[in-house]
Amino acid sequence: MTQVLLFNVFNGLIVGAFYALMALGLSLILNLSGVINFAHGGFLAIGAYLAYSLMPFIGFWGALLVAPFLTAAIGLAVERVLIRRLYGRDPLYSLLLTFGLAYILEDATRYIYGAQSVPYPIPGWLTTPLSAQFFFLTGYRLFMVALVGIAVTALFLILNRTRLGMRIRAGTLDLETVSVLGVNVRILRNLNFGLGIYLAGLAGVLAAGMLGLQPTIGTSLIMPSFVAIIIGGLGSLPGTLLGGLLIGVASGITTVFFPSATEAVMYIMMGIVLLVRPRGLLGEEGRTQ
Amino acid sequence: MKRVSARTANAAIWILLLTMPYWMGAIGGYTELATRVIVLGLAAMALNFLLGFTGVLSFGHAAYFGLGAYGAAMTIKYIVPSTPLAIVVGVAVGTLAAAIIGALIVKLRGVYFAMVTIAFGQVFYFITFRWNSVTGGDDGLTGWHRQPLDLGFAQFPIGTNDKAFYYFALVLFAVAVGMMAILLRSPFGRTLLAIRENERRARFLGIPVERHIWMSFVISCLFASLAGTLYSLLSNFTDPRALHWSLSGNFVIMAVLGGMRSFWGPLLGAAIFVVLQDYVSSHTENWMSVIGLSFVLVVLFFPRGVLGIIKRRIAA
Amino acid sequence: MSLLNVQNVSRHFGSLIAVDDVSMSVQSGELRAVIGPNGAGKTTFFNLISGLLPPTSGKILLDDLDITPLSPQQRVALGMARTFQITEVFPELSVRENLRIPVESAAGLRLRPWLSPRVDAEVSRRVAEFLEMGGLATKAERLAGELPHGDQRATEIMMALALRPRLLLLDEPTAGMGDQETYDITRLIRRLHRDHKLTIVLIEHDMRVIFHLADRITVLAEGSVLAEGTPPQIAADERVQAAYLGKAA
Repeated sequence: MTQVLLFNVFNGLIVGAFYALMALGLSLILNLSGVINFAHGGFLAIGAYLAYSLMPFIGFWGALLVAPFLTAAIGLAVERVLIRRLYGRDPLYSLLLTFGLAYILEDATRYIYGAQSVPYPIPGWLTTPLSAQFFFLTGYRLFMVALVGIAVTALFLILNRTRLGMRIRAGTLDLETVSVLGVNVRILRNLNFGLGIYLAGLAGVLAAGMLGLQPTIGTSLIMPSFVAIIIGGLGSLPGTLLGGLLIGVASGITTVFFPSATEAVMYIMMGIVLLVRPRGLLGEEGRTQ
Repeated sequence: MKRVSARTANAAIWILLLTMPYWMGAIGGYTELATRVIVLGLAAMALNFLLGFTGVLSFGHAAYFGLGAYGAAMTIKYIVPSTPLAIVVGVAVGTLAAAIIGALIVKLRGVYFAMVTIAFGQVFYFITFRWNSVTGGDDGLTGWHRQPLDLGFAQFPIGTNDKAFYYFALVLFAVAVGMMAILLRSPFGRTLLAIRENERRARFLGIPVERHIWMSFVISCLFASLAGTLYSLLSNFTDPRALHWSLSGNFVIMAVLGGMRSFWGPLLGAAIFVVLQDYVSSHTENWMSVIGLSFVLVVLFFPRGVLGIIKRRIAA
Repeated sequence: MSLLNVQNVSRHFGSLIAVDDVSMSVQSGELRAVIGPNGAGKTTFFNLISGLLPPTSGKILLDDLDITPLSPQQRVALGMARTFQITEVFPELSVRENLRIPVESAAGLRLRPWLSPRVDAEVSRRVAEFLEMGGLATKAERLAGELPHGDQRATEIMMALALRPRLLLLDEPTAGMGDQETYDITRLIRRLHRDHKLTIVLIEHDMRVIFHLADRITVLAEGSVLAEGTPPQIAADERVQAAYLGKAA
């Protein structure tokens, strides 16, 4: 019994780390620019499919390195051309825009790559489990956790140790003041968006290895990101991280006892958080406006 | 440009609606399409009660629409084959859900409110998807159909006759729309406008903002679930897509496309959207991209919607 | 008999002390001006009185009733109304509609889905009254957001008045106005004070307006009360002069 429980908790942690990675990108964009990037799942898919296309040429590791950057570049372009125009306006419009983008991206990937799922080959040595006792600890899963850990650490280092990061954090609190202090807000938003999309692209490449590739890969992962942000706390990146992990672990535990409720549990958690502490577990006061 | 009075415009709209099954065929449509316009138009107008008139960003209306659809379908299939009862149950379920969820989220605003409405929308999508023994899961709920209307003194073959069902739906549409219009013109309706225009000011005029937003939310979802019941009755079928966030997004785009600030705008938006979708999906597999592209274009170039543009031209 | 009694109220934002142990007692029918250099905490002070912010410590009494825990809506119900430094009206509604809403709110008609013709006529009559009083009768159908600044301010003051308040808080009513507009608003406020016996507390920078209207003046500087007295007393007070009188408009 403990074996099964352990397996599922660990699995849940991996899944949770994964949700957190995606949710962090979404949260970055939301906090600074007030835009709900509904197309985030689409960018995740782009990341995955780009990696898939590049792999024959530059191998698994090359694709892993390059694809997220390419995806981020696309993100930068999208922000510059489309989203930037909508900042001053009612948030309704940017949400509709990203909605539309989500449709387009999903259809485009389906058109280019077909609706069937394609396998995403990962290097053999990564798939072997580390020991018979802990058969679930395959190299790939550990690799994923490690990579997510590195990415998240890098993100927090960027945010706390670099000038860009400091400006993003300041801008999240008070964009007007930051602008008055001479920071180019347009570039800041652009780079912040790119950073968020990088994380989506990275999540996509990692997801491909674990789930296989299909055009709907992004849209199925976007809801847990939303819920992670709501649970963890609006406006708080550590909260988002916590939210993602909590969802993952909770689903893992639920699988053991109530398998059919696995996906429901994150919504139940969301309901409870909204009832008891609407701003989220680590959310800041007044951030719900 | 001559100023068209509101009365004339209203009369013209009702005349068009009353005769739609007859001229629909002439422009390449069919009666069922006309009913779809009415039903989705009602859903979009219901959403706009909240979005355009109270200023609340609700992006999860498909949930209540879908609850209405499933409520009606499941009533006929499992409880008793009666159309009126199906409608009552569908509306009751959707409204009850709205009352509960609304109470949970009423303290949030702006994009956060939108996020949470989307999330709750997905809760119901997920439930219908999973509970496939009862709801038919991804395949949808089949094996039932709408019943002829037996009022004792008269029978209406709405079960089989498309035109009869159209007029049945139109009657309910008229009642719903009439109620919405009365509410919006009332002191209560004015408090909603106040909340839209300047929430802080409304609060400082003694208006209990959260309570009124909750009420607007419940009213809006009530009419949305009514539309949902008609939708499933229309096709004698319902599936989880009636609850999906994409449908929520479609309702919003209908409202924006037609004109959020005007009463009839969403109906116009729904008409354009339904016809467009029908046409595009029969001509290409990539209709999703076309719909997505139209979202982008509307947002960038027609944020005030068709009626918004027309109103400006008149005022100029 | 004091209508508004602010007792030792403070408001901290972390380590920033915006309002520091301020007390103020305003008599019924008095017109009190609150003045002070920029950043003295005047608007925060108003936010505390009107319920937008809770005080970190201290009490606020309206007519001997402790209103400290009450929400803005509840304070409005008890007879307090305020205007804001940046005019807050309903921009896409007409002036008439802007005024209709507080009239209906004050008459307890907020939830009505329908008004009988008699009640409707009564509401319209009252709205017309306020339109007249604010000099807005000719502009009644225009969208409030399109009016010139002075008229928007007048609309906002009329909206506050339509609530039939006992206490009116005006936050910099003449801010950003030219001479003529300032004169008109000042006359309006004086009429409200004299003819309607309203208790008014106003924040102002324009000294001419203050000396023209105020019964008493409270001077705030750096969050605490520097001085309080009649206009001549304040004008003669050296500390006040030192604090900022020289820099006033």
